[in-house]
Amino acid sequence: MMYSTVSVKRHYLFRAAVLLAFAVYIEHLAQYDALHYYVTPKLAVWVRLCPVPLSFMALSLAVQALFGRSSAICGCGHQLPRSRSGSAAMYSVFLLPLLLGFALPDRALGSAAAAHKGMSLNYSSLVPKESARFQTSDPFAAEFAALAKKLYSQPVIPVFPQIFSETLGTLDRFKHDFEGKEASVSGFLYRENTGSMGGRFAVSRFLVQCCTADATPIGILVNAKQQKSLPADTWIKVRGKLQVIVYKGKETLQIDAESVTPIEESSTPYVYTSPDAVEEWDQLLRSVK
Amino acid sequence: MTSFSPLKMLPLLLPAAFLIIPIVLLIPKHRELMDSPYLYTFKTGFIGILLEALPFVLAGALLSSVIGVFVADETITRWVPRQALPALLFACLLGVIFPICECGMIPLVRRLLRKGMPLHVGIAFILAGPILNPIVFSATLTAFRSHPSLAYARMGLAFAVSLIIGLIVYATVKRSPLRLSMQRGDEELHHEALNGGKLAAVFTHAADDFFEMGKYLILGCLLTSLIQTFVVQSSLASIGGRPLGSYLFMMGFAFILSLCSTSDAFVASSFAHSFPSGSLLAFMVLGPMLDFKNAMMLMSLFKTRFALYLFFLIASTVFTGAILLSGWL
Repeated sequence: MMYSTVSVKRHYLFRAAVLLAFAVYIEHLAQYDALHYYVTPKLAVWVRLCPVPLSFMALSLAVQALFGRSSAICGCGHQLPRSRSGSAAMYSVFLLPLLLGFALPDRALGSAAAAHKGMSLNYSSLVPKESARFQTSDPFAAEFAALAKKLYSQPVIPVFPQIFSETLGTLDRFKHDFEGKEASVSGFLYRENTGSMGGRFAVSRFLVQCCTADATPIGILVNAKQQKSLPADTWIKVRGKLQVIVYKGKETLQIDAESVTPIEESSTPYVYTSPDAVEEWDQLLRSVK
Repeated sequence: MTSFSPLKMLPLLLPAAFLIIPIVLLIPKHRELMDSPYLYTFKTGFIGILLEALPFVLAGALLSSVIGVFVADETITRWVPRQALPALLFACLLGVIFPICECGMIPLVRRLLRKGMPLHVGIAFILAGPILNPIVFSATLTAFRSHPSLAYARMGLAFAVSLIIGLIVYATVKRSPLRLSMQRGDEELHHEALNGGKLAAVFTHAADDFFEMGKYLILGCLLTSLIQTFVVQSSLASIGGRPLGSYLFMMGFAFILSLCSTSDAFVASSFAHSFPSGSLLAFMVLGPMLDFKNAMMLMSLFKTRFALYLFFLIASTVFTGAILLSGWL
């Protein structure tokens, strides 16, 4: 397939502009500290590096287009769109994410996404009964047991966002032992549309492993006496006694709320897994004091 | 090809780009669609998947063009064992050295195929690479801490599936299924003639790769996030109630979710109470080999008939393998 040099040069120039726009978009997200709406901090390190190769690629395309000898440029082994409508279709595919990215403000996932993905309120349905409190014969649950002991010693159990999923998992695993203890947790308000929750709602966060595609909503039921009519997606801080109820046929932990306070949306709305929750807990407790 | 000026192209491009948003919005005719939560859920999902894949696609494109510019064809031919079986074993274990996920894999393999790597070896590498590597193994082990046999089963099944499909391709495919423009011979990187020498050649070819793969990647991300925005996942789960249904459901789910192979184990573990382990295994082996995103990318590499043949082989081998292994799990 031969292409006229002029049209190849024009494609190169346009591509250079698109690559540069991607680099600018990522730089823009990094500047406004908005990458965490889309990917985990660990992955964000890599995404932040992307503008470097992107700009080099844009630069070398632009150099070829502007100063390249015509004999050196051809569509060798690479397909360029053959018609005008072909190019238009192809480049609009690349412009779509840029347009969406620049035109719409960044916003974290909320109730609408949680309803489609399915809220998790139970974490461990198959836990064998243990004889002594916070003892476990399962070596993989040792971390939970260790965290459970530390949580239990607190007058009001704080659910830190840094170890959100680990803490809720621990409370759920040993739910009968924690019944009657007081806990405090913050997140967004989630309410099921079907009305199956009665007067209850859930306080929830999205757990993200890699990017928003694998985000799973996790939360804890709240039985509120006041502030019942708060709209979904309001960020709230809930405090109250833990109790075990049967919800949708399963034993589920809920907070019998003494207080529900609307708060500002967290600057890091999602939660991530922690490699060592017990160590993290000790550090968090030290920094709080 | 008719010649036209860039200024004439611009007015055509802009409306086309703006048209996409209303089209995307009007596909399912729900009224609540105009409600912003859906639009924002879609945007956050779409940009999220794209940003997640971007570093890997760029790394794959750069690595492939470094190989294209600096590595001679004979080197690849010398490295790959002549006999089919050792060559396939070599391909399956290549992922240990190149721990690249599936997005970066396809541009790399495309280059290696053009450089003379035999087709069956390339296929085995595409299939095994994203799973059989230390990063994915440790992520799977973390996700299934209470069920480590699943992590071993995942590695074992991925290895077996890649080997079997490699052998089938070796035995049955004689003519090159690469798309015409990709065939060897067209390929001559006259990098000396490019301004700026070899370094510029690396970046120029990486950019070409990026645009060729990128359009399929973006379309894949688009479809995936549309599905994630509009399909209620619990309504899907009820389809998978029956024993065999759960396998088919989890495989279909892996296909439409298009997760990265390092994070899909965590999603699989959230289904651990409601689905049999065999179906979770099918989910974790099929996903990295075949999903929306990389099916699109494979279509760009191979002729449609071969691509469909390959999809069928992958789906049936994974299905059979997962059922056979479920007895052991």
